[in-house]
Amino acid sequence: MTERIRMLTELTLRGEMYVKPVKTEFDRADLFLPREQMESKRLCEYILNQEPKLTPHSLMTGFFNFDGSVVGDAFRRGGHKATQEAFKLFYLKPIDNLSTMEWQHATADYTKVLNKGIRGIIYDIEESLTCHNEPEQVEFLLALKRVANALIEWAHKCSERALTLSLTTQNEEYRNNLKKLSEALLRVPENAPETFYEAVLCIYVCFSADPDSVGTLDRYLYPFYKKDIGNGTLTKDEAAEYLQELFLMLQAATPISTDRFTRGGESHFCIGGYLPSGEDGFNELSRLIVESMIELPTYIPQLTLRWTKKTPREVFRFMLDCERKDPHKRIAFQNDEKRIKCYTEICDIPFEKAVSYTTVGCNEPAFLGAITGSNSKINFLRSMETVFHKKSKLIENNASFDDFFDIFKKELFSDLKRAYEYDNFYNKQRAQDINYISSLVFNDCIENAKSLTQGGGNTAIASPTCLGITNVIDSLCVVKQFVFDEKLFTMNELIAALKSDWQGYEDMRTLILKKGKFFGNDDDTSNYVAQKLYRELYDFLKDKTNLYGYHWLIGDLVGYNIHHKWFGEHTKATPDGRFSGDMLKFGIGQSEGRDREGLSALLNSIAKLDPSGIGCGSTVTNITLDEQLIKNDDNFEKTVDLLLTYFQNGGVHFQLTYVSKEDLICAQKTPDDYKHLRVRVSGFSDYFVKLNDAIQDDIIARTTQSR
Amino acid sequence: MKATIFDIERNSYVDGPGIRTTVFFKGCNLRCAWCHNPESQSGFSQMLFYKDKCTGCGKCKEKCPNNLESCELCGRCALYCPHDAREICGREYTVDEVMREILKDQSYYETSGGGVTFSGGECMLQIDFLEEILKECKSHGIHTAVDTAGHVPFEYFEKIIPYTDLFLYDVKSLDNEKHKEYTGATNELILANLEMLLKSGKAVWVRIPIIPNVNDTEEEMKKIKSFLCSYGYPPKVELLPYHAMGEHKYAALGKKAHAFSVPGKEKISRLRKLFE
Repeated sequence: MTERIRMLTELTLRGEMYVKPVKTEFDRADLFLPREQMESKRLCEYILNQEPKLTPHSLMTGFFNFDGSVVGDAFRRGGHKATQEAFKLFYLKPIDNLSTMEWQHATADYTKVLNKGIRGIIYDIEESLTCHNEPEQVEFLLALKRVANALIEWAHKCSERALTLSLTTQNEEYRNNLKKLSEALLRVPENAPETFYEAVLCIYVCFSADPDSVGTLDRYLYPFYKKDIGNGTLTKDEAAEYLQELFLMLQAATPISTDRFTRGGESHFCIGGYLPSGEDGFNELSRLIVESMIELPTYIPQLTLRWTKKTPREVFRFMLDCERKDPHKRIAFQNDEKRIKCYTEICDIPFEKAVSYTTVGCNEPAFLGAITGSNSKINFLRSMETVFHKKSKLIENNASFDDFFDIFKKELFSDLKRAYEYDNFYNKQRAQDINYISSLVFNDCIENAKSLTQGGGNTAIASPTCLGITNVIDSLCVVKQFVFDEKLFTMNELIAALKSDWQGYEDMRTLILKKGKFFGNDDDTSNYVAQKLYRELYDFLKDKTNLYGYHWLIGDLVGYNIHHKWFGEHTKATPDGRFSGDMLKFGIGQSEGRDREGLSALLNSIAKLDPSGIGCGSTVTNITLDEQLIKNDDNFEKTVDLLLTYFQNGGVHFQLTYVSKEDLICAQKTPDDYKHLRVRVSGFSDYFVKLNDAIQDDIIARTTQSR
Repeated sequence: MKATIFDIERNSYVDGPGIRTTVFFKGCNLRCAWCHNPESQSGFSQMLFYKDKCTGCGKCKEKCPNNLESCELCGRCALYCPHDAREICGREYTVDEVMREILKDQSYYETSGGGVTFSGGECMLQIDFLEEILKECKSHGIHTAVDTAGHVPFEYFEKIIPYTDLFLYDVKSLDNEKHKEYTGATNELILANLEMLLKSGKAVWVRIPIIPNVNDTEEEMKKIKSFLCSYGYPPKVELLPYHAMGEHKYAALGKKAHAFSVPGKEKISRLRKLFE
């Protein structure tokens, strides 16, 4: 790491690189203007009133934050009034113990600005103006054009500030850096960049328009990297330095005063994966991206390797090796085979487009230049509760497991249908806002003359996340095994046990916990039940889309919030041995000690679960390992093979935590001694002691696999 | 045909190359004082009772058809014990049953160069079953390893050599007196079998448990090494330091564990160097 980057890292981790918004006054008379004119006018005035962050060590600048006084970016939604109103009513506030509204992540398409510059985007707007006549569309496009021009002007202002600072900078190298920066900002992002440095600078500036994910970085930067390395105008070390400065900006974009500062999920991107040509995309730049990112002692961003059947074992091993050496646990793994199959076959997205997906936020998939079309949280176990506690008459006399399953299924699908209506409703609320700045850098919004959250994008998926899927599978297993296969107790006894919250039925519960064929043990009963459930979900969802035509998929992650705890608190006892009020399980990997057959069994169960791929939404598989399986070199090689086989067999995702349960329990008791212990939560990593109690308990309860 | 087996452990990293499934046969004809699987010694199913987990709730007595006065190994006490204080160890398996478990992880064997390991106890005591299942594994193209203490007639080896890719062979001590004192048997048959096995050219990994005050000296290791050298050096020698993790199982069986100290890391690495 160079001295310059070391200095910037220090400033970043002290929170000093955060770009403070400059308060801006607006002329109230502009309220008489039509809405789009007023909002874009204020937005432009706000942008041009900002001050870029510059230090004598800077080689990049131009990122700015919004303060909520104008309509800001689509990610943080500062100033998006309708969205904020909806959040006040539905965020962290479950309705019907069924659904809550959540954040939506997205990733800009940086290839647009890299290929044609903002000037080129303005030409696109002008062309679109010739195709649209509706007043709303015209006003929207004119507003975009105003904002695009403001961004160009903003870059020029940044250029001037860099030049001014260079005049007082003593160190010759730094002075030259600032001059170089100043000159570059006069060319980009207005025009398409010509060098690797200019390309990275473009992303740095345009990240303000959607401060979320940098998408498929190793793909769109590669032509610049290859060209500059080829003609000798760039060294590998210089490239690493530019990348590091970009990553530091991603870290600094989150204020240190929030608990999100140490959470990787704030910004997440992918490397590797299938290219439109069908080849594996992991290249020399991908490697440099990982190495330069890991060298920084930061938390944000985190990245995911997209694995394909063509990924060499050496690359997969390299990534796992980086992960095991990274104290901040920033690396996760996705399986392209499964995801691309889902996107092309279920969602009907062309291969060339499907391969542009990246994981954003915790683990939400989004295509380059698109939003994740939905992200509400659904209580998946609610339907099981309804069947046993409210509609038990219907199941008392079931003759077979299939009869029972059909009744449960009807209830589940009726819940899902309602939850999807709520999800559409959340989207409609968001659609009342107009995303002037984000729509510039996303795909199709200009051509469609429609704002991003109004469905301006043509290609996206809608993946609400379902909490309690494993509870449902385990509950179904219990009914099949104990009531119908082994006949160890009757349905009526089970109904009575659940209605009394297991009181007086302690023996039955003990029997279930000990002898239950639960998910994750790779046995015939639980595999059959789990696969049947996913097949039914596929049949139910295969031709359903949300209000914007984005295909529904199933996901299972939980974000920063403890939705699984709230839902659990309001859900009565269920056949899986769960007491009334116990929290739901999230993710599909961890099973609270119920997966007893070792890691290969757990991984087999997961890999075989969903041949269709309907579960390729925001899906997370947490694998908690004894650290000896990772840290010991001989064991590590076997673990590489193990995880590789898991992907070959069809697993969608995994991320690792390797720490002993004893350490976690101690950390809960004496947090001061374990301040530095980092764990994987749900698509993001964080300091264990900073997590709330419910999530801490959940992580402790996950089975640690020692074999 | 059936065998008494007390555990099938999937995803094992320690019993041979790659990722393996290890099948533990019940019954052993040695009584090594340091044995960490004392439940493997008897060839029959057994009840294990973990006193420290028992809260005295009485559930076992309530569920036992004989009021806990005699045991038919029906397992109801273990099934209903809310505290996992009771466990039935070992049951009979058919070849098909075991194969079903083995085949579940075939893809992992293929990626990692792993396979299946038959261990115990002494798996060769149930030689007919062993031969049958080894054949079955080979017909599926699975790499096979047999983990043995070698205290069986050599004809047993001859039966399974064609279907065994690798032997994991325990050598405890070349000192016959000590061997008899600590394992209950002399080492002559064991060493003679090893000699023939090495001469046959079959792949053998020699495994030496390192037990303080029994065989943890450089002198003993050198002796073992020179024995091995005289018959062609095996591809791999693994030293397995004594650990006390089997102690609670002695108590659960109502037996007393022999107290050994745990050898230090430094000593182990010094001894390991002798075989490099």
